Amino acid sequence: MSKTKVFVGMSGGVDSSVSAMLLKEQGYDVVGVYMKNWSQDLPGMKCPWAEDLADAKRVAVRLGIDFEVWDFENEYREKVVEYMLREFKAGNTPNPDIMCNQEIKFKLFYERAMKQGADFIATGHYARVGESNPSTLEPTRPPVFTGGSFSDGELRRPGHVRESDRLDSPALLRAVDENKDQTYFLYRISNEALVHTIFPIGEMTKPEVKKLAEENSLHNAYKRESMGVCFVGEVGMKDFLKEYIDIQPGEIREIESGEILGYHEGTVFYTIGQRHGLYLNGEKGKVNDGLPYYIVKKDMKNNIIYVSKDLNNENLWVNELELRDVFLRTNSAFDSCLVRMRHRAPLIPARFDGKKLTFANEIKRPASGQSAVLYNEKECLGGGIIA
Amino acid sequence: MIYLDHAAATPVSKKVLEAMEPYFLHDFFNPSAAYLPAKKVNANYEAAKGTIAHAIGAKASDLIITAGATEANNLAFTSIDCVDSRQSLSGQSIKSVLYLETEHDSVRRVAEQYGGEAIRVLPNGLIDLNDFKDKLTDDVELVSVALANNELGTIQPLAEIAAIIREAKLDRLKRGIKTQLLLHSDASQALNLLDINVARLGIDLLTINSAKVYGPKGVGALYVSHEARLKPLTLGGGQENGFRSGTENVPGVIGFAKALEIAKKHLTSNRKKYTTWRKILLAELQGYELVNKKHMLDNFIVLCYNGIDAERLIFLLEEKQVYVSTGAACAASKGVRSHVLKAIGLTDEQIAGSLRISLGETNDESQIHEVARIMNEVVATERKRLENNE
Repeated sequence: MSKTKVFVGMSGGVDSSVSAMLLKEQGYDVVGVYMKNWSQDLPGMKCPWAEDLADAKRVAVRLGIDFEVWDFENEYREKVVEYMLREFKAGNTPNPDIMCNQEIKFKLFYERAMKQGADFIATGHYARVGESNPSTLEPTRPPVFTGGSFSDGELRRPGHVRESDRLDSPALLRAVDENKDQTYFLYRISNEALVHTIFPIGEMTKPEVKKLAEENSLHNAYKRESMGVCFVGEVGMKDFLKEYIDIQPGEIREIESGEILGYHEGTVFYTIGQRHGLYLNGEKGKVNDGLPYYIVKKDMKNNIIYVSKDLNNENLWVNELELRDVFLRTNSAFDSCLVRMRHRAPLIPARFDGKKLTFANEIKRPASGQSAVLYNEKECLGGGIIA
Repeated sequence: MIYLDHAAATPVSKKVLEAMEPYFLHDFFNPSAAYLPAKKVNANYEAAKGTIAHAIGAKASDLIITAGATEANNLAFTSIDCVDSRQSLSGQSIKSVLYLETEHDSVRRVAEQYGGEAIRVLPNGLIDLNDFKDKLTDDVELVSVALANNELGTIQPLAEIAAIIREAKLDRLKRGIKTQLLLHSDASQALNLLDINVARLGIDLLTINSAKVYGPKGVGALYVSHEARLKPLTLGGGQENGFRSGTENVPGVIGFAKALEIAKKHLTSNRKKYTTWRKILLAELQGYELVNKKHMLDNFIVLCYNGIDAERLIFLLEEKQVYVSTGAACAASKGVRSHVLKAIGLTDEQIAGSLRISLGETNDESQIHEVARIMNEVVATERKRLENNE
């Protein structure tokens, strides 16, 4: 009888390293996998994939677990990068991490792991899996073998997972560490994958994870966290896009006066609400009075960006948001919920009619293409893409 | 710590550091300045260049100091730019460069830019001379073959290659063909382990590097014979006879010279020492296959542990403070399979199981015994883990 087999995605970062360690300690048969999604260097940006891979492998070797590299570069390019470029070209601001989780980590990685005999997959996300039960919402984790008995107290042979261990309608629950909760990025992953997923550090706080890494001298405890399109942070996104999209000079106009204040490199490179990286004429007392201009509107057709100094500009505020590509995680109907517009952003109460979010007070308008993710007290109910 | 990666980097020896020190603190002057202390620095710089040149049987004026072997290799290839660029009828530039397929990336990448063609190696890692002769057409202007390979330590028969080139040149002249034909060699790995004489070897361009011979990093040189003409990669104040502008790296060159002086002195005794250690290690290690059996530098040992992932061994050895590598450090960091091991016909599995050990001055005999013990232990642990997985 073989042990319960878990394939854990390892990025070389501290979260996935500690996740792998915990799984190993809990007695699972663990295989570490580095997902090679992107390896291309860009001008002035070196993709650190080989270093990340080496760090992940070092941890796997220390833990004495098998380690594999799965190459998803073509799929990542097709499913994530192309989606991203399509969205940007349409004037939206997409979130590649959400797409990566939906299409790569919790689809291709999950499917391949299952094909290779996995009982579960695991990742270093701060999130939890529980039974969807709106009344209690207490998380129930897959029972863990701790040398002799399972954590639910029942004595069974290791590796034997009962059908009842598999949750029929799993719930995606926010992490214990509210500050690190990553369910925002996970709201679109399939139930099928979620049932077979373990988030080993979902019950822990970041400082606890770090401490554990240090105590176990997991060499990479110092490392920065892995990012979306691996090395492309928010700052690098414009440079990244410029590799694929030609610059297209256009006007920057003040929305109130219609006056030309400066010029930009192409509407696609800018986001509503942005106030940095604008080339404005430095006319004294007008542009340079110390108050920043915000992008309030993008005219994609005429390649014009509209800006305003007025934080109360009507374009910046809304009390309704239309969602597209809505993905609901629960069958039970709900008409009010909490909404998160960005990773780690505060939860805002709203009413939801299945398509449209309505807020009691006006909120600052998030960029189109970003996701609005819906929650109740603890559970992620799904979400949609802001139209 | 037991360091067994001297082919990747060597520590700067104490004497070298001492020789360099005054040039950071007191004799920091720009060698091109007019006042006497600066002139003195310039004289010492030239003298140091003389020492470096002497180590390869050349004169100071034959050397262009660079920031290492990579730059020297890049500079060597500009010798092609100096002759009239001839175009074929289709408008494409004619293939005019040959390089050994096991060359370091700093030669391969540049050669590829010039449309270079690779010369095959035999399974023992040596140049396939027949393939070389076949590819040595009248278009070829430059041939680049490293004196010793950086992953296997294989020493190429440069004198023989030079003789073939000399013959081809003669034949070209006889037929009235004016195309130049030069021989370049990257001798970075061999500088402190072989007696090198450019005239005797018949080399036109030779790359040498301080970082592999217990000198400072970021210093190298290109020897240029009177046959070759170069095009500078950097323009400016006209230093290094106009071929490499930029204020001279005086401490670096002083250190390089000192390191070579020491290397020369201990060349024979070091070679003997490494040969002995190599024998000990090969006798005490278990369950391996030796990859580089002949024609290699005395300090290079490439082992293959069949069925084992050598990268795992590196991390297991790292935990015991034993440092080895799987191949070229730059190749390893890119996560690509060694093109060198592939060229000598190793299977993917053999490549994955291969380790490079390069002995050096940080080692002593007791370490060699110790390493054999640790490596046997680590390999046994890994084999056991694999069996338990079955």
